[in-house]
Amino acid sequence: MSYLDQPRLNFSGMFQADVSTINNDVTNYDNATFTPEKQKLSKDSWNPEGTGNFRLIDCQITGGVLDGKLLSSAQDDPAIGMLLENARERVYGKLVDLDPQQQMVSAIWGMQLRLSDGAGANLFVGDYEPAAFINLWKRQQHESAFHDQTLAAIYQSVLSQVAWKCDHGSPLLAALHAASEQGWLSINMNLYGYGRDPSIPRYTLGYVAGSIGPWRQGSPKHFVPGRQMIPAFSNVMTPAHGVSFFTCLVQEQRRRISADFGNCLPIEGADGGFQNLGRLLLAVDRGNPDGPLDTVSAASVAILGEVGYQNGNARAQQDWYARTAGIEDFDYSQLDPWIAQNIGSRPLLLLTPVAGSGEVPSSYQVLVQESFGGLYARADSIVYRLNPDETVAAEMYATRYGQPLATTLVFGTQLGLMPSSQPPTINTGKLDYPEQLNTDAGGRAQLRIHAPAAGPGNPRGYIDGQLYGIGWQMPAQPKDSPQNIWNFISLLAYDRVATPAVPAWYPDIQPILQQYANLYPIMSRHLIDLADYDSVVAHVRILDLAFSLPQSDPNHMPVTRDLSDAKRAMILRWLRQPGTDGKPLKGKAAAPRTAPPNEAEARPVLALDPLQTAGKTAVFMAYQAYQARQGGKP
Amino acid sequence: MIRLHRNYVRAVRQARAAQDLFGPLQNAIELEHSTIPPYFTATASLVAGKNEAIAGLIRAITMQEMLHMCIASNILIAIGGQPQINRPGFVPEYPGPLPMHIGGPDFTVGIEAFSRDLVKQVFMQIEEPEQPIPVHEKAEIEPEYETIGAFYRALQAKIVELGDGIFEPSSLPNQVVQGNWFPPDQLFAITGADSAVRAIDIIVLQGEGSSSSPYESPDVLAHFYRFGEIHAGRALVKTADGYAYAGAPIPFDDNGVYPLRPNCKLAQFTPGTQAHTRLAQFIYSYNSLLNALHTCFNGQPGRLDAAIGLMYSLRIEAVALVQTPVAPGSAQNVGPSFEYMQT
Repeated sequence: MSYLDQPRLNFSGMFQADVSTINNDVTNYDNATFTPEKQKLSKDSWNPEGTGNFRLIDCQITGGVLDGKLLSSAQDDPAIGMLLENARERVYGKLVDLDPQQQMVSAIWGMQLRLSDGAGANLFVGDYEPAAFINLWKRQQHESAFHDQTLAAIYQSVLSQVAWKCDHGSPLLAALHAASEQGWLSINMNLYGYGRDPSIPRYTLGYVAGSIGPWRQGSPKHFVPGRQMIPAFSNVMTPAHGVSFFTCLVQEQRRRISADFGNCLPIEGADGGFQNLGRLLLAVDRGNPDGPLDTVSAASVAILGEVGYQNGNARAQQDWYARTAGIEDFDYSQLDPWIAQNIGSRPLLLLTPVAGSGEVPSSYQVLVQESFGGLYARADSIVYRLNPDETVAAEMYATRYGQPLATTLVFGTQLGLMPSSQPPTINTGKLDYPEQLNTDAGGRAQLRIHAPAAGPGNPRGYIDGQLYGIGWQMPAQPKDSPQNIWNFISLLAYDRVATPAVPAWYPDIQPILQQYANLYPIMSRHLIDLADYDSVVAHVRILDLAFSLPQSDPNHMPVTRDLSDAKRAMILRWLRQPGTDGKPLKGKAAAPRTAPPNEAEARPVLALDPLQTAGKTAVFMAYQAYQARQGGKP
Repeated sequence: MIRLHRNYVRAVRQARAAQDLFGPLQNAIELEHSTIPPYFTATASLVAGKNEAIAGLIRAITMQEMLHMCIASNILIAIGGQPQINRPGFVPEYPGPLPMHIGGPDFTVGIEAFSRDLVKQVFMQIEEPEQPIPVHEKAEIEPEYETIGAFYRALQAKIVELGDGIFEPSSLPNQVVQGNWFPPDQLFAITGADSAVRAIDIIVLQGEGSSSSPYESPDVLAHFYRFGEIHAGRALVKTADGYAYAGAPIPFDDNGVYPLRPNCKLAQFTPGTQAHTRLAQFIYSYNSLLNALHTCFNGQPGRLDAAIGLMYSLRIEAVALVQTPVAPGSAQNVGPSFEYMQT
């Protein structure tokens, strides 16, 4: 079950993502060339003193659905109007990139959310399990302010360890609690309208609309195993017909389909006013196409219903979005009985009437169609960090028209995204995982990915580890099926490092902490100068705590969660082994080099494409490579 | 001389049972907390990289106020009480009087940027000893008022009088002593009258020094004299005829202070502005800290680490706050506000 099921709560408000920006440029990781100039505010580094905080602001429950009935006021249900709040006894969650070369899977860590009645009662409190955003696209058509982030994306996860308060008098909450195993909840957030101009009120803030529904063990946490609507894209961020990816959930027994338009419809500016795409209709194709559709006749489709995004004036449209988070529930029990008989085996389409085709349209343009053959495979979690000799198990799900499918998945060649192109030749290693897997009758398989004990061999020199991407295909799916380009696994495999039993500041610790001091001045200017021995040893206790907390804890250090277990253990060992003066060992500063480095010591030189120093890099490059393989086709 | 109304001391002296000390100890917790917001704000107003020595001095004092708050809480827990930390009224109204009318009817404390005047007029008043070591000037005590020191001495005397019987051994696991956040000879479990008296000595000594010395320990000056150094701009040294602020300079760069609007309140700002958003965030985190501390001192001492995390987070959040103009183009910046908020 998921947020697309019922009962469902919808919320809307704002969010803050106070990300730090110096780490957007991979070359800033090079301690040898870093200068304090790089810590200054600029267009590329528009929030150099970011804290990493991710939090919700003024998020209110704006609507809900119970037994097919829309709820939109506190009279309908007392949950409407309550507040979706941040933690009340610990710090805010953190927003974290995987790596400067894979910034397209930023994940929220350590966030706790709670439903508050605003008068001191908390109806539920749960931990948001770390999740990376997905379905990124250029949703906002025009900048509302200088340097607006016009890309939008979704975060889908679960609230775990949920503590419920039961005497709330809300039938909606009671039903949600009853439908949720152990009280856990599925939550989806659509994020858009993010501001990057320091002079505007929306600086580091954006808008969020989302939904909360029931969750059960065995369900994926980060996607809905429903009907996957996959548009063709004219370039990496722009769908060919203006509408991006979305998911529908068909409940055949209830004759109901729930379609999530929350992230797929283009908006004009940051505030979420919809671009007018004309009438949008969800339909079932009466045929069984295995290729792309352009226009279809009215006779060849069965219309399920119309998307309400255009009803009324601009205010009413925004109210629709706030109240529903863009989810439309269509009841087809009273429609053409053909639908009920065939919806489970025919593709869904999003249509708009062809201009001039009459008041009762005779033909429609297809804006988005379901994955060819209804086939889809996804990894639940799409981001992993791997220590040398560590194995992770990615849960894979295969579906056909939203139903579990026993099939074969073939895994793509891995991308070492940042090889060194100049001597010395470096062994970038490789990850071990099967070339193919069969899913079981439940449509599931575990993809076990193992990082070799030798690690990737420090191919990137001044930055730890190597990035990999693993994609997959279903041989059962027709060739040239449009794909969701975000549907792949990103991995960061750490270098193997030999750490001394008795580490010291100069040789072992300072090079690591210097990098954090350079990249995150909010910490080093205002709390602890991580580049300075005296400052660090004056804060041994708090550093010991922060470095030893689990990654899931919002106070975990480093905030960026990009330190290998071996290095973190070495730092803790150093903090806990004081010398005779009671302070962690200082060691000796390296003598200034008198001779040029020999070849064996030469620093690897990163072969950087110009795009790669501009942040959003790895995926663009992978997409470029994909396009090249396709002979230039998108 | 910092004073509090004699009634508060009298209430301690008239106590007949442990329960009669719950109120005075809760007052002590609130008093120790109430000094932290003004000290915190003064430090936060100092520009990073400038006035580091002053910031370090005030920050160290603030840490000791936190220790004192812990000690008072542990004593209350030890005799069967429950510290109340995230409640309306726990946070004083700034500007306004401190708990127990500390300093007399005319003494108000606000939330302001650092200045040497603030140190002299407010911080040194708060910390003024029972019997200051003469450093150039003398103070007088008005008869209807007593000192904070006298209040704590009365508490000690009453605890000794009531004896070890008022201490509940079962409270031991609920006391907050773990984590090595403070030296074990300063923060320790309160198991009876002896340890309670010893703990209160630390509060008094760190704040005021002793009647014969401005030092709380051989190398560490009591708060009053450290503030005195900051105000005078020189370290305290012993001279032929006593003590004088005539030692090494403690420089102050008055360009190194953010121009904070004093006593900001969230209601003064327009929702949706950067000033409002950041102040609201700060207030929320401050209340999260009070919530975490309340839980910590009411049966879940392991939550102290989360509270410490919030303290660091507050310092970080104050960085952006104090650099935010109260309105676009204004020469004044937003100062922290410590408002109670039910969450």
